[in-house]
Amino acid sequence: MRSVRVFLALGLAGAACGGATSTPDDTGDDVPADEWDRRLGDRVVDYNAALRTAALRLTGDLPTLAEIKAVADAGDPAAQKVVYESLLRSYLEGPRFAGQMLRFWRDTMRLGESATMDTAPRFAAQLTVENRGYAELLTATTGTCPTYDGAAGTFAAADCDNGVATAAGVLSNPAVMAQFSSNMAFRRVRWVQETFACTAFPTELTGAQPEGAPAFLSPWPMESIAGTANGGTVDFHDQSAVICANCHTTMNHLAPLFANFDDAGQLQSTIQVKTPLPGNPLALRTDWLPGAEPTAWRFGAPAADLPALGAAMAADPAIAECAVARLWNWALGRGDIVDTLATVPSEVITAQVAAFTGNGMKLKDAIFAVYTSDDFVRF
Amino acid sequence: MRTSLLLPSLALLALGCTGELATDEPPLPTGNASAGTDNTFDHPDSNIDVWELLDRMKAEGPPRYSARMHACAKLKYDTLGRLLGSRGVDLAATGALSAGKLYRDGDQALGAPNFAARQRESRELTTATASRMFDIFVQAAPEIIAAMPGLPACQIAGQGATMFNADNQCNPDGITCLLGVPATPSHLELCNLAVTRASDVEKGKRIAVASLLAAANTCE
Repeated sequence: MRSVRVFLALGLAGAACGGATSTPDDTGDDVPADEWDRRLGDRVVDYNAALRTAALRLTGDLPTLAEIKAVADAGDPAAQKVVYESLLRSYLEGPRFAGQMLRFWRDTMRLGESATMDTAPRFAAQLTVENRGYAELLTATTGTCPTYDGAAGTFAAADCDNGVATAAGVLSNPAVMAQFSSNMAFRRVRWVQETFACTAFPTELTGAQPEGAPAFLSPWPMESIAGTANGGTVDFHDQSAVICANCHTTMNHLAPLFANFDDAGQLQSTIQVKTPLPGNPLALRTDWLPGAEPTAWRFGAPAADLPALGAAMAADPAIAECAVARLWNWALGRGDIVDTLATVPSEVITAQVAAFTGNGMKLKDAIFAVYTSDDFVRF
Repeated sequence: MRTSLLLPSLALLALGCTGELATDEPPLPTGNASAGTDNTFDHPDSNIDVWELLDRMKAEGPPRYSARMHACAKLKYDTLGRLLGSRGVDLAATGALSAGKLYRDGDQALGAPNFAARQRESRELTTATASRMFDIFVQAAPEIIAAMPGLPACQIAGQGATMFNADNQCNPDGITCLLGVPATPSHLELCNLAVTRASDVEKGKRIAVASLLAAANTCE
């Protein structure tokens, strides 16, 4: 979450949202103990309201009269908590939860609602419903295009049929490749970044921005990506308007990994994506990277192929934090973390992230932790 | 602070890279982040407007606060359908002004996702969405009132709740089942006022149910 957008959010928050005693320090962070902290402190635990929200999110419907009365009539908050958590578990184990998770992942991934296009959100929903590890979403080698029985809320493993010898979770999913097909595979790269890292490009910026014009702040050498000076047809070294390489040093090290998928998401033996040049010629590897420059997830995290990319991503703490942040925003009814910049500061979800990473990144357990958190049950 | 504000300027101004556009490309849409046609490539203009963000944060507070608060997200399209169905609305109804048809035909106004265009569901309650929802609730109210005693969701030990008693007074259990939270004295008062102040009782009941639904479902 340490991204440009968080800097932006915190910077603007410091400027615009300071309370009576809030003052921005040199880093742009607000000093705690202001009107916002007081408002947080004014919230009260309301398990009835929490139940309504949880039921709508986890079952897609209101709680029943019997469920509402069970919480309301339970007695003190401690007793209500017991009933609430019991109902929460029943929601998580019920057949409607599977459908809700399918909808959640469709929305997260921005694709679905057809047998073909549902395969990626279906796999994510299966991992969630079966309380499997989130890493599988990026690393599973088989069973990544499951079938779904909506009535029973169950999934059955099936392989994707798109020519991939060894799958890499949804990173090699045909629906994803088709939905986000574009010139030079950059739309696929952007989808990976925004869906799983929760930030838009540029994402690898180092050092402080000096006075004056934007500067090259990537940890990668400029020459690590292609430009017209080192064999490319697109000048990613250009700095005349903005510093292209601030984004493209990361993007160009990823894009070739997705370049052999055609517009239908089928893996081919040669590069299938085009360049946005006159005549739209097919891209060459040298259009992204010069010579033998290896592909990578991040600077210092090489990834020779999609399974290696999935493994590198799964090992990146930012990916786990992003997963929890997305679950958090969904639970609290907030907008998309990237589209609406609904950022979740790390300190807000520290406990949930620690539990998530310490528990094999199990998704259903993470959902339970979020829906029983102090913030979720306070209004 | 300077670092914080200048770094985002890189993100917000990440426009394009030099090269030539394909000559057969269609004209770039208004608002596209590309600059001149001779020196940039087409980049999607999806960066959030910094001034909109500033306004939003003035209202919502900084992320360390807003991230810990429940937001007011629009009821999802599918969720609205299931909510109506479980409260007795026939979603397959074909009458021109039936709640079911208004719901089925209202997917765009209700902010349903458009995955073919890579668009997720809108979470904002726009004027169009709120208007459509209220239209649906007004049409759904008589169905809900009639169906409630037989609805599994509104029964306890086989005994169904009713929205109104024999004296046309609102029932707390009926309101509770309708809203999804325990009825408060304010709910009861509002409901009874709507019934008694209407030109006739049936219209009053309809207004009462629709108003309660609209208020309760402003946020998911």
